[in-house]
Amino acid sequence: MEQVEQLLKRTLPFQVVSPETLGNIAGISQRETFSEGDVIYSAGQSANDVYVLASGRLHHAITPQVNAKIHEKSLNAGDVFGWAAIFEGERIRLADVSCTEPVEVLRIDGTKLLDLLRRDRNFGDAAMRSFSQLISQQYYLPPSVANRVPSTLAAPATTAEEPGEPAAQMASTWTLTMYRAGEWIRSPDPYLMMIGFMLLLGSWYLTVEVFKLPRFEDLPGLTTVVTEWFATDPMYGLSIHTSEYYQHVWVSIRRVAIAFLLATALGVPLGLFLGWSRTFREYVFPVFELLRPIPILAWVPLAIIMFTGSETPVIFLTFLASFFATALNTMLGVESIDESYTRAAYCLGANRWQVFREVIIPGAMPYVFTGLQISVGVAWFSLVAGEMVSGQYGLGYVINTSYTMVRYPTIIIGMVTLGIVGYATSAMVRVAGNYMMQWRLREMALGGR
Amino acid sequence: MAIASGGAAAPVTSKLQVSAGEIIVDNVSKSYGTGIFEKKVVKGCSFTIERNKLTVMIGPSGCGKSTLIKLLAGFEKPTTGNILLNGKPVTGPGRDRLVVFQESALFPWMTTYDNIMYGPIARGEADQKARDLAEFLLDKVGLRDFRSKYPTQLSGGMQRRAELARAMINNPEVMILDEPFRGLDAMSKELMWEYYSALFEESHRTNFFVTTDIDEALFLADRLIIMSNIPTRVRATIEVNIPRPRKLADFFTSERANEVKMTALSLLHEEAMKSFSGGSKAAADFVDSYARRSEQKA
Ligand SMILES: Nc1ncnc2c1ncn2[C@@H]1O[C@H](COP(=O)(O)OP(=O)(O)OP(=O)(O)O)[C@@H](O)[C@H]1O
Ligand SMILES: [Mg+2]
Repeated sequence: MEQVEQLLKRTLPFQVVSPETLGNIAGISQRETFSEGDVIYSAGQSANDVYVLASGRLHHAITPQVNAKIHEKSLNAGDVFGWAAIFEGERIRLADVSCTEPVEVLRIDGTKLLDLLRRDRNFGDAAMRSFSQLISQQYYLPPSVANRVPSTLAAPATTAEEPGEPAAQMASTWTLTMYRAGEWIRSPDPYLMMIGFMLLLGSWYLTVEVFKLPRFEDLPGLTTVVTEWFATDPMYGLSIHTSEYYQHVWVSIRRVAIAFLLATALGVPLGLFLGWSRTFREYVFPVFELLRPIPILAWVPLAIIMFTGSETPVIFLTFLASFFATALNTMLGVESIDESYTRAAYCLGANRWQVFREVIIPGAMPYVFTGLQISVGVAWFSLVAGEMVSGQYGLGYVINTSYTMVRYPTIIIGMVTLGIVGYATSAMVRVAGNYMMQWRLREMALGGR
Repeated sequence: MAIASGGAAAPVTSKLQVSAGEIIVDNVSKSYGTGIFEKKVVKGCSFTIERNKLTVMIGPSGCGKSTLIKLLAGFEKPTTGNILLNGKPVTGPGRDRLVVFQESALFPWMTTYDNIMYGPIARGEADQKARDLAEFLLDKVGLRDFRSKYPTQLSGGMQRRAELARAMINNPEVMILDEPFRGLDAMSKELMWEYYSALFEESHRTNFFVTTDIDEALFLADRLIIMSNIPTRVRATIEVNIPRPRKLADFFTSERANEVKMTALSLLHEEAMKSFSGGSKAAADFVDSYARRSEQKA
């Protein structure tokens, strides 16, 4: 088997596939020997197998009906032939292949091979492309023949050469997303997730409304909350049918957005410089480290004294925690960059500023985006703290006033809404981050995620 | 693409304008730490990396080869002694010496093509000529179909080839490579030897190649420098004198190759044994692996 893999690895199309796929292909390869003068197949027969020549020499003659630049060719060890077996549509041999010496070949079932390549998400399409290339470059056949090799992910491929590439890539990103979604539905994950939710909601319902456990009976029950939340005429004045509800949500989102953008705009550069410049770090980092552990609630009085109105203190509090999280993660990101990258850049002639721009910044990006995700999380956290103390609208305000005014179901509505909106914003940051760092995504994909 | 096919036919020397440099390492020593913490890594080392030749340095693992390379690259300064490039002392990193370090250092956030073009872009020399050269090199190292892939999507061998291309595009006067094929499997390693020696044979740029693999050293070298154990210095220099172009198929059966290999091995054995008696595990492994290999061959 080892030998088979080694032989496969030497051929153009299989050089590129993942070790796992290579192993699988070796698994479906059969060794066969032929004597001098034997005919392996002739033009017009149906094509089922792809072959790799292991030893000996073959004569390969393409039928005159096909428009090849050169029709006859001799094949040596390592050559791949019989590619008509992976054509899309009709699979008919286009050549006569006969042995000029005793030969040994590997026979690989075309349909199974296509299947394996389709499953190799990362390199399958490259292998397919190598097949088309092989057909046009080594067998001198026109693109009309070479293009009959399907491409793995995107359906009908353009001649996967130069222009047209972005379109093909977009198509494959889309199919990839769909494929992943399909996988997810088929995996146990979504069902486990549903079970989790059902357990939570079920125990809420049971403890509060069915068993009425001692300290639980005063809590708003599941049905009460749901009814209130979706009521057209809510008992306590807040449901999805009231405009106030959206006003509170909107005010909170706006505060978080402003604070988050400010924290990013100031925190990322600060973190980059902290990581990059030793002297700068020596000045700033101790102060930074002293302020960072102070809880947000401890800042509330100062915030109210320092800022006028009800809006700015809340935004300041929300900003603060996000800012520390972003700056710290960015700094760690810069420190995590392998020295070999900066060394390579200097060797290639970059100056210090270029190294900062072209190595430090992109190299720190994965950490920066982790930092931003944390940062939105803590932004919501400190927003609620701020809104409970000061401010006139917002979800934190809703929760706090509903408590003092004994509108218990509204508290839960506020909490659940916070959960949903908070989750949605984190997800948005994550998606944006992944989109902007395709290389990182690929790395994780290859790392077995 | 027209450029690529035209490039493949034209002689390489017209594409890669080679101006080869020469490096003289003169009585260089390097220690880390001071006082009782002083660790001598390189001690009284002198050799020449000759113009237009492929000089291979081989020595036991951990003897201080990478340290020497950092000195040659200009990232560190010798404690004593001088390093001269074309007669001028080396004071810092520069584009005249291109160093490919032991650790793979393709930028993971750039595609293969962008990585290769990084040097010219960084220096503001990314003109049509540089782009043509990039196309040509992509073909040369067989990565044309992978130009828009990211490094993590390439196999180990492809990454090394991309790194070679990224270095070559800058037309350095001297190319310095630190164990560039370390960690590849035997088959890809041999493929890489062929790629690399073909590239050298086409340009005859001054090359300095560091390795711990005797077969690799032998197949590639015009001159072989054998290093002593740590603190390292030159133990012997051998002019290999095997004509180019070399082909793997019959290279290791030739009498001259075997003669050089035996001489080199016995010197390396001696060096490894020295530190073995000093209790170094690495050296013991080193001796073991060679003993096993020669048994297999016998
Ligand atoms: N910055 C440093 N400070 C202290 N000691 C160092 C430093 N750099 C290297 N050394 C020491 O120098 C010795 C030689 O290291 P070096 O990396 O040069 O070896 P090498 O010959 O390249 O080994 P290998 O073949 O394994 O790559 C090691 O023992 C290492 O501990
Ligand atoms: Mg080293």
